[in-house]
Amino acid sequence: MFDSSTFIKDSITQLKDKIKGKAVMGVSGGVDSTTAAMIVNKSIGDNLYCILVDTGYLRKDEVENNIAMFKKIGLNVVAVDARERFYKKLQNVIEPEEKRKIIGELFIRVFEEIAVEKKAKYFVQGTIAPDWIESGGGLRDTIKSHHNVGGLPKDINFEIVEPLRDIYKDEVREVGKKLGLPKEIHQKQPFPGPGLAVRIVGEATRERAEIVREACYIVETEIDQAVKVGKIEKPWQYFAVLLPVKAVGVHGDVRAYKNIIVVRSVSSIDGMSAAYSKLPDHLLESISVHITNKLKDHIARVVYDVTNKPPGTIEYE
Amino acid sequence: MNKKKVYVVDNGGQWTHRIWRVLRELNCDSKILPNTTPLKEIDAQALVLSGGAARIEWESVKLGNCIEYLDHFSGPIMGVCLGMQFMAIHFGGKAGPAQVAEYGIAHLEVLEEDLLFKGLPKHFNVWQSHNDEVKEAPGFEVLARSERCPIQAMKHKTRPLYGVQFHPEVNNTEHGEKIYANFLSTLD
Repeated sequence: MFDSSTFIKDSITQLKDKIKGKAVMGVSGGVDSTTAAMIVNKSIGDNLYCILVDTGYLRKDEVENNIAMFKKIGLNVVAVDARERFYKKLQNVIEPEEKRKIIGELFIRVFEEIAVEKKAKYFVQGTIAPDWIESGGGLRDTIKSHHNVGGLPKDINFEIVEPLRDIYKDEVREVGKKLGLPKEIHQKQPFPGPGLAVRIVGEATRERAEIVREACYIVETEIDQAVKVGKIEKPWQYFAVLLPVKAVGVHGDVRAYKNIIVVRSVSSIDGMSAAYSKLPDHLLESISVHITNKLKDHIARVVYDVTNKPPGTIEYE
Repeated sequence: MNKKKVYVVDNGGQWTHRIWRVLRELNCDSKILPNTTPLKEIDAQALVLSGGAARIEWESVKLGNCIEYLDHFSGPIMGVCLGMQFMAIHFGGKAGPAQVAEYGIAHLEVLEEDLLFKGLPKHFNVWQSHNDEVKEAPGFEVLARSERCPIQAMKHKTRPLYGVQFHPEVNNTEHGEKIYANFLSTLD
């Protein structure tokens, strides 16, 4: 069986040996990057600069919550507001792989700027096993480029360090727990590196980001509440996706012609395969009512995704 | 007790790493090898041939040294998905595009318990992801089928060679870890 104490001890020994000087790392507040940051922080202390990039595709209140959390657990954080840069780069981009690559590249450029400023030579990533497996390479077919693997530009000027490369999410959670991460972090649901951009099918404009941000917030709060009162078990991942197609509805006797939101919730232990969550009807209804009322100017219909992985993937792009 | 050395031969499957993980959880000494690894460099007691995206009819060249392993490796071998299809063809059978491709959940019916399904129910749910399937497997006994695919598991009549079309390494497959444990028991 996987032993988190041994893993932590061995990783720290290796990292102390490997990293000579300063390192930068992108942190999202998710369990992978936060756990990786904790391990590296235990190896080289404040020589690790944790960069939190606001891409404009983060969830509601995520930047503020994350900064507070990182400070609490003692990480050295640098926050960067790059929203305009990301929105601009993604203008007119529709193809999902192109989206992922543009985001991956822009992330790296932001990190490079900070690295130059801090004189860091190492770049730490919270890559875990499924990330590089799904990114293809060699014989493997590329299902999606993960921004921290396949999305990386070729001309990077750092040495890459990936302390969690061989382990899976549930093992990362154990490591995080062992390192003393608060429960809301080590049990946090996965969030894709490119963020809400891959939950917007089609062009990821600022306006669409606002819509999907609110819809994701509703799905999360409704499901978290149901978990809290013991109505359902916590799903592996649960969120909303904005589709670029419209359907007809009726709002107070007036015709409405608005976009469609997909609600997606799946159970899994490592994200490599997944079954759609059998959520109770009243919960789905409540999510639907909240989304269509709150986002009435944009959304006229909510659908629930009943696809397993395979043949679906968990996220949409 | 010494750990069993059981390696995973990587044919490019999305779940190659899962096989490695299950073997690790079953306390094996395991690693993932490229399928181009020369047989003489493999010091394992048993091998698992992973699945992969290659299409069995026209891309079997992507399976590297799998022929050599099937002919000359001395220990038990389990072929998963593409690994099993390759095994069937190598021993004179046929494999090709599935009548009905299966993705995600499917219902498995065990026809012959043999060693592979020892102690398991006759019916359970498994996870699939295949475009091709085994059509004929002379020299093998069929151990299980699903509603849409007649050869879901097989065993060579004289050698310790097993094949499964579904993916026991995937967590959603019921009794998956037990199937690997049963395969490992061929080493006892």
